[in-house]
Amino acid sequence: MGDVLTLSGLEVRAGAEVLVHSVDLLLAAGEICALVGASGSGKSLTARAMLGLVEIDPGVTRGTLEITVGDRSYQPPMSGDFRARKRAFEGIRGAVVGYLPQDAGRALDPLRTVGRQVGHTARLAGRDDGPLPWLDKAGLQPSVAGRYPHELSGGMAQRVVIAQALARGSRFLLADEPTTGLDPAVRRPLLRELRHLADEGVGILWITHDLRATRGLADRVLVMSEGRVVESTTPDVLDSGEVSSPAARKLVDATRRIAGGRVR
Amino acid sequence: MSRVAWVLLAVVVCIGLVAPFGDWERAMTVIPTEAGLGPSPGHPLGTDHLGRDVLARLQLATSAFAGPGLLACAVALVLAVPTAAVSAYRGGVLGSATRFAFTSLAAIPRFVLVLLVLSIYGDSPTTLALAVGASYVPLLGEAVYERIERLRGEEYVLASQAHGLAGGRILWVHLVWFACGRLIGRHLLALFGFYLVLETTLSYIGGFGVQEPHPSWGNMLVFEWGRRSLVDPGLLAPGIALWATLALTDWASESLGEVEHG
Ligand SMILES: Nc1ncnc2c1ncn2[C@@H]1O[C@H](COP(=O)(O)OP(=O)(O)O)[C@@H](O)[C@H]1O
Ligand SMILES: [Mg+2]
Repeated sequence: MGDVLTLSGLEVRAGAEVLVHSVDLLLAAGEICALVGASGSGKSLTARAMLGLVEIDPGVTRGTLEITVGDRSYQPPMSGDFRARKRAFEGIRGAVVGYLPQDAGRALDPLRTVGRQVGHTARLAGRDDGPLPWLDKAGLQPSVAGRYPHELSGGMAQRVVIAQALARGSRFLLADEPTTGLDPAVRRPLLRELRHLADEGVGILWITHDLRATRGLADRVLVMSEGRVVESTTPDVLDSGEVSSPAARKLVDATRRIAGGRVR
Repeated sequence: MSRVAWVLLAVVVCIGLVAPFGDWERAMTVIPTEAGLGPSPGHPLGTDHLGRDVLARLQLATSAFAGPGLLACAVALVLAVPTAAVSAYRGGVLGSATRFAFTSLAAIPRFVLVLLVLSIYGDSPTTLALAVGASYVPLLGEAVYERIERLRGEEYVLASQAHGLAGGRILWVHLVWFACGRLIGRHLLALFGFYLVLETTLSYIGGFGVQEPHPSWGNMLVFEWGRRSLVDPGLLAPGIALWATLALTDWASESLGEVEHG
């Protein structure tokens, strides 16, 4: 494979306030890298910056993104001229870097059926086989195609969004808290779905605030706090509690209190 | 069921659009010996007090509002929707400026605006249509602006962008056509109804709008008023036609209600 996405020195500002400080991140094909941190630590901003979709003023002020897929290499400008940035990112969004939104119910167009939306995503990828194969791959019945988003449960909506990601066939996937707000019983199979995708060679950045869920699923864990990546480690190391930064320490301790002793 | 309303409305409008090309001798020729006749096989709705066939005049009168009414809708659509859509999607200074323009214009009552334009530029049906269409721009523009501004920040718009959908397609197909189509349709039907009422009112007031000998439903009412009983077909027919057409626009509008989404 060898496909890789490298983000270095990302800085995001809102006015004078720095929201994301010099974040470095490397995502390789076939791996799941978890980005863990408390709410408001800058995880979503980091992901959106990698899609060129930060709509704050001034937004991304520094940082470079380099993506290598096969023998092609992309280096979209992350800051500066709006039009140049727009053009560069239009070739990357979806085709190279995909996005799995947090609130799947709201991430679907409320006025169009599931089938049309998934079918349309497939067409964006140049595929004419309609929505059904993708719904099936994501574990949904064909009958779901005729439904509107408000007729879906949270877990089903999330599966529809996964079907879209499958149909789009992105090389890298940024999953922003894809299972937050779902029942634990629904969460596990969905996360296994992510693992399948990674095993097929997709590089996944999995954003979550649940440290426990990373075990057995993520290959690496980045801990983010107040706009900085403060720890880069593995789930097993986190499990043993051997972390260096105070922020990661706090996260581990908090998780232990909830879990009653062990990080899992 | 509201399909019936659309079909009937389309029939009325089509009659109005082709009417100017027809031969309307029966509607226009004054025959004093046939004045004020009741219904008969030759004149299903009788004749007016100048001996002209009421049914023929009723049909010809649809041209007083059909073409100009559509023109007014087109003017409002073309001026309001692209401006509102683009500025709401972009936001920033452009958004604020457009919003300010809409709000300031909306502060002038529509009827006053129309009368003002008519008194300056004359009262040909085309001028009236342009004025009514333009006067509706702030209302339609604000409605579209408000909805697109609200939807722009929605997660599904972000998701579409992330899937690699082009910005233009998101704006015009998803936000304007899918999300605002019905809203715009309802507004245009209301505008069409407004034009019909306004044209009738102006003819009724006299001095503005379609003038004798050309018929409009408004001036047909005025012309026969007081000359015959209220239940006489010559007087009843234009009144009913007016009411029925307004009811049709309303009925058609109901079919454009919003799709429920949770
Ligand atoms: N549009 C915005 N304008 C100003 N500040 C923002 C905006 N979006 C996010 N922020 C701030 O940036 C910080 C990081 O946000 P985010 O990346 O969404 O956090 P999370 O880690 O929960 O995903 C938060 O403090 C948030 O208040
Ligand atoms: Mg977030």
